[in-house]
Amino acid sequence: MDSGRLHPLSADIRQIAAIFARMGFGIAYGPELEDEHHNFDALRMPADHPARDMQDTFWTKEETPRAPRTHTTSVTIRCLEEMAKSGQSEARMIAPAKVFRNEATDATHEAQFYQLDGFAVGPKGTVTLAHLKGTFDYFYRQYLGEDAKVRFRPSFFPFVEPGVEIDVWYEVPGKKGRWLETGGAGMLHPEVIRNAGLDPDKIAGFAFGGGIERLLMVKYGIPDVRAFHNGDIRFTYGFDPA
Amino acid sequence: MRISKKWLQQYFDSALPDTEALSDALTFHVAEIEEATSDMLDVKALPDRAAYLMSHRGVALELGAALGMPLKSDPLRKELPVFPETDELSVSLDAEGKCNRYMGALVKGVKVGPSPAWLKEALESVGQRSINNVVDATNYVMLNIGQPLHAFDAKKLSVRDGKYAIAVRIATEGEAFTSLTGEEYALPEGTLVIVDGNNDAVLGVAGVKGGKEAQVDERTTDLVIEAANFDGTQVRRTAQKLKLFTDASSRFQNRPSPALAAYGMRDVLALITDIAGGTVAGVTDIYPNPEEPQTVSASLLEVNAVLGTSLSMDEVRAALTRLSFSFEEVEDRFIVLVPFERRDLSIPEDLIEEIGRTIGYDSIAGVQLPVSAGEPEQARYRGIERVKDFLIERGYAEVSTPSFAGEGEVLLANPLQEEKPYLRASLIENVKDALTRAAQLAPRVIGPEQFVRLFEVGNVFTAKGEHLVLSVGAVPLSGKPAKAAELLQQDVLALSQDLVGAPLTPRYSLDGQVMEFDLGALNLEKLGEDYAPKTVRLGAFRPYSQYPFALRDIAVWTPEGTTESEVANAIVKDAGAFLVRLDCFDRFEKEGRTSYAFRLVFESMERTLADTDLDPAMQRVTDGLNARDGWEVR
Repeated sequence: MDSGRLHPLSADIRQIAAIFARMGFGIAYGPELEDEHHNFDALRMPADHPARDMQDTFWTKEETPRAPRTHTTSVTIRCLEEMAKSGQSEARMIAPAKVFRNEATDATHEAQFYQLDGFAVGPKGTVTLAHLKGTFDYFYRQYLGEDAKVRFRPSFFPFVEPGVEIDVWYEVPGKKGRWLETGGAGMLHPEVIRNAGLDPDKIAGFAFGGGIERLLMVKYGIPDVRAFHNGDIRFTYGFDPA
Repeated sequence: MRISKKWLQQYFDSALPDTEALSDALTFHVAEIEEATSDMLDVKALPDRAAYLMSHRGVALELGAALGMPLKSDPLRKELPVFPETDELSVSLDAEGKCNRYMGALVKGVKVGPSPAWLKEALESVGQRSINNVVDATNYVMLNIGQPLHAFDAKKLSVRDGKYAIAVRIATEGEAFTSLTGEEYALPEGTLVIVDGNNDAVLGVAGVKGGKEAQVDERTTDLVIEAANFDGTQVRRTAQKLKLFTDASSRFQNRPSPALAAYGMRDVLALITDIAGGTVAGVTDIYPNPEEPQTVSASLLEVNAVLGTSLSMDEVRAALTRLSFSFEEVEDRFIVLVPFERRDLSIPEDLIEEIGRTIGYDSIAGVQLPVSAGEPEQARYRGIERVKDFLIERGYAEVSTPSFAGEGEVLLANPLQEEKPYLRASLIENVKDALTRAAQLAPRVIGPEQFVRLFEVGNVFTAKGEHLVLSVGAVPLSGKPAKAAELLQQDVLALSQDLVGAPLTPRYSLDGQVMEFDLGALNLEKLGEDYAPKTVRLGAFRPYSQYPFALRDIAVWTPEGTTESEVANAIVKDAGAFLVRLDCFDRFEKEGRTSYAFRLVFESMERTLADTDLDPAMQRVTDGLNARDGWEVR
């Protein structure tokens, strides 16, 4: 009997989970079908705000429409709410899970994909932008290899301030190294902390989020993102043993 | 927004570096560059900065800060003139406050004609078309400082008691509007329109587009110029409903300052009278609630606590100075007067971002988080992965399938594909479909197995709620279909008894080959408590062909003692480049000889293979095997 195979996304999420575990991050869950509050409003993306254009959204046909979440940042806000309820003052979590965007699909765009969102918060001043950088320095060196390095570029996401894009320098074996855009991050906006029921004068920290498939696409040379979620066994079995 | 290098250069005494250097300076200090040519930069202004950055002036200011090159002069810091008033133009606003400010100017005696060469060239350099000197002037000032402007032909407006009248009101539902470019619209309810206050004719959709009604043409001599500020939400909704996204609407939706309107009016009046002549009869300015100047502050302690740096007062001071901010210091606190055009500076963190990006994020050294107390909570995750490992050991492969489905219980209002309007309520159909395809692909992918076995872990959506479900399925590749159902039942039983330690409540497909159950109902935390998921490292992806593979079998007698790999090597040697897989599926010995049966899988990345490809290959293999001493193809 040929042994079974793990889906490549599961294989790499295991590596990601293990690396973040070494930095003290747990794994959090939240609903894929999310309410407007947790997907948007609590994250400072009110209706009729241009920030909503940044994510094309599916909506359910219901009296109170819900959205297949556009990011797992919705899990972050739910975790912060839990902290407020339980009285915790620090937490570190990642949520590697499925998200949805209502956009035409092609080799680099899928309407459903996985995102690695996460956050670290603690008493104000103990978790900083420098820690965000240190966290991703470590993560990418462990995940992609010792040559990997990260840089920040200024950007905007409504739920963080300051907001940055994280690029990683990656040398695919046998190819020239290059900078890859990997996702957004920043220091959680005080209003988001407050929306969760925490006191932004006391609690602060960073949050981040980015697509997972695109990391695998570069790492393993996968040409088409649509191969991930179409149930084709050629994809599951399509990797040389390392 | 497209930004011309030549246009930017007007802001500086010293020569700007090339666009590659400009692009880098902007990328690492303020905004992404979508495209750069030798004389143009396409700057992506995100919603927080769009109110000031969608302009040459805004980009010039940022470049000045990033490169340490002061601006020659800043049009938004030059004092405003006192505009002459006029009795010949009245302005009235709607009661609902959707118009924050409306400045109307009456200009008489202009001569409409072609724009001067510099103006044409400036507009064309950012991809805009030159129309005439008056319209070009309004566009130029908008692209220069960010204030949308509009010019009406005053002679096409009606006059009552010696007065032109401009009014802003909400349109009636279905009210007709013909745009400048001739498109006709039935306006949706709630649309804010600019009308001729004397006869109520619609002149334009506020903040979106002007109308045909009072269009400036070559006979125009008198103008009413609009420099206004409309509610961002209002403009955004209207643009979306009309599917009419314009330079004006993209600026107003980001809520530029109402104060900017006066700078736009100053500049456009100066430019029009310069290139089209005429005199300004006067300006009527309705600005019911002028905004007060704001301050924003952050202490050095706060700056360093957010950025994780150890900046000094001097370093912060230098950053604020580079940004051309007016500020004062009270002990270790920097109190900044928010420039009126900036809409993104209200809390300390906003100011800290300014400092961080000006100093440069590359100068912030990464710091590891302190070691945290206690084990990170990953038990639930590890519980799920434990179930996967259990199945993988039993020969199952994991797939991932779409969450959208043709049938279900939760309907989407805007599905991607009309034939899949639901969120999946079950994984069974998806796994069944994956199994059917897998069975066809099995000889290519997994070789001579008795079964194809698959599973998926994923969320499903029912009227009752969302559930984490595990679906497992098996189909036979040879033998009786019932065997697969039997195998599946055995494995599910093993899962229940050996791993979970509790009965499961699986639902089976009719043929018994696929089942699913509510994985989320198990105590996954307990299952994962002390479990470390197996580390799986993958090598490079091997792209697969979009074309069908072809199969050929061959059996050969060999002398006693011949190994399987000897035969395999002999086949590979002659089979040619299209051979992609070779499996031995039978071996037996008889009368001192050993028979081997192999299945050859052929495939091309470029095309469907034909017998004319395969027959010669098989002939070569056959001849090659027969040529060996004591070998005989059966």
